[in-house]
Amino acid sequence: MTTQEPFSFTIPQPPAQKPNAVPQRRQTDDLMRAVALTSIFGERMVLQGIDLAIRRGEVFVVMGPSGCGKTTLLRHLCGLLAPSLGAVTIDGQDVYRASPDQLQALRRRTGLSFQGGALLGSLTVIENVMLPLRENTDLPERVIEATARMKLEMVGLLHAAHLLPSSLSGGMKKRAAIARAIALDPEIVFFDEPSAGLDPITAAEVDNLICKLNKVFGITMVVVTHDLPSAYEIADRIVVLLDGKVAALGPRDDVWNSPDPRIRDFIERRMNEASGRGMDVATLMEI
Amino acid sequence: MTATLAESATIAVGTCLDRTTAAQLLTELDRQFRDRPQRLVLDLGQVATFDSAGLSTVVEGMRRAREQGVEVRLRGLSQPMLDFFSLVSIDRLAGKPPPVLDKPNPIERLGALVEPKLDGLVGVLRTAGEVLQAITVGPFRGQKLRLDRTAMEIDHCAGGALPIILLIAFLLGLILAMQAWVQLRIFGCEIYVADMVGVSVMSEIGPLMTAIALAARSGSSNAAQLGSMVVGEEIDALKQMGIRPTGFLVVPKVLACAVSAIMLTVIFDVVGICGGALFAWGVADIEFLAFAAQLKQALHLSDFAFATVKSLTFGAIVGVVGCSLGLRVQGGSEGVGRATTNAVVLGIFLIIVIDAVFVTFQRLVLS
Repeated sequence: MTTQEPFSFTIPQPPAQKPNAVPQRRQTDDLMRAVALTSIFGERMVLQGIDLAIRRGEVFVVMGPSGCGKTTLLRHLCGLLAPSLGAVTIDGQDVYRASPDQLQALRRRTGLSFQGGALLGSLTVIENVMLPLRENTDLPERVIEATARMKLEMVGLLHAAHLLPSSLSGGMKKRAAIARAIALDPEIVFFDEPSAGLDPITAAEVDNLICKLNKVFGITMVVVTHDLPSAYEIADRIVVLLDGKVAALGPRDDVWNSPDPRIRDFIERRMNEASGRGMDVATLMEI
Repeated sequence: MTATLAESATIAVGTCLDRTTAAQLLTELDRQFRDRPQRLVLDLGQVATFDSAGLSTVVEGMRRAREQGVEVRLRGLSQPMLDFFSLVSIDRLAGKPPPVLDKPNPIERLGALVEPKLDGLVGVLRTAGEVLQAITVGPFRGQKLRLDRTAMEIDHCAGGALPIILLIAFLLGLILAMQAWVQLRIFGCEIYVADMVGVSVMSEIGPLMTAIALAARSGSSNAAQLGSMVVGEEIDALKQMGIRPTGFLVVPKVLACAVSAIMLTVIFDVVGICGGALFAWGVADIEFLAFAAQLKQALHLSDFAFATVKSLTFGAIVGVVGCSLGLRVQGGSEGVGRATTNAVVLGIFLIIVIDAVFVTFQRLVLS
């Protein structure tokens, strides 16, 4: 098999039996670190030296207005896009300096729920969830199917198991994507805009699901969103990105009560006056 | 791992219930079920580490038990396991999986095989009708012909295909001359190489090869482009804005294919005959002037007219088939792939069929 730790849930009371089980001591350690992440596309510097740490078992929310580099940061963190400068580490292991095998093992410890679901259109919902299990484990087919059914039940999609993604609604696609992301019991799950394009009730359901999975399994959640109520609801810690820089980073309440005017503008949804969309037509008016 | 009582069996699960031990537990469960106990107790008290694969195996066991009427009890569930199970309903998970659809009977299967093909063909005919309507009646009803887009499409279609057409035309002319010369030499009438190359290139090989090249290049790309537009809801967006996809996308593409087919066929004919003449001059010792004079006798203007009408039809078929299949894509990226393949296959098939009709008409009915 691989060097991957086979399992994410450790039960506190009895001493760990497996030699490679996660030691308790590290429960509060930083699980992921981003150091001086810089991302340059052509002439444009999307991220300018991002430093942050994500702790084991927390819900970490990345917020910011559109175009501030949220999604780019997520793609760097989850190992899909190498940054121009800087490093990303999971458990001290550099994601972009790892050998292909190590990278594969790291990826198996993470799950990603894409904004539009990114379900494979030619497979049914349950086949989509079974796919990572089939490809990455040697479990018997019946266990794989039972596991996939369990994941679908967790996201409340068991009744739609045999439908094709094209016949699902947006919320169902998103929930199916979450089921697929947690198929391998990952330690970290990344969410790209989990509530984008959903009605408030479905969005709240997805938030609730993220919280439940975090509480019950202790999965570390990294959530990129621009949905303020949802961010407040689920976050343990928040980073606010503005123009490719970290504008605020810390526990939810600290960020929410931050005195920084830029953060206040963002959180209170005020339009930035510097954006030039004021009434400057007034200067041209003849009185 | 087990202790069997008279009518009730107990499986004591070890400390580890995860994907490394799931297969083992499943075999153990299967073994117990073979003995048909009335009651099965799963003792999970020892379990220290578990994952969803392990617990899924337990649920799978419970499903089997329900099927066979065995009563199952779980013993020693720890709090984390209860938390886990709080997210799901065992009742739903262990319930019957949804019934697998019955196997269709042979007639249904035949229908499922034939229906999409017929649908495709009907769709092609309908698109052809719409295009014809848009070209003939449309302009008088205020629907503009999008000549700007047509020009752009011609550039894609003919401009892009030019190098490959030049190459195959020259080589085919050369090959035809070579093959004909070998046979004609036996009778000492090498000069008829000109007839052979001229007639076959102009009335058959030219229109056909051009149409096949167009089907492979433009038919497939049209199908893929329109298909991805359907998947990305772009076609719906156009319709919603009051822009007809037929007038805006299909008609320019079909016109471009038809015009490109004619232009490329003419180029093909010229270059092909040049290739033949080059061979005749270089190897068969036939002077260019003699070749040209012989060609003049062999070719008639009516042949050229026929060939032109033929390429126009072929080009239009390639355009209509590609667009029609592209616009009717269903089922995401896989559907786009299927439409692209079918656009080439159906396109070439229709071209050959129509060619047979044309030649029959030209050679048997008219002469």
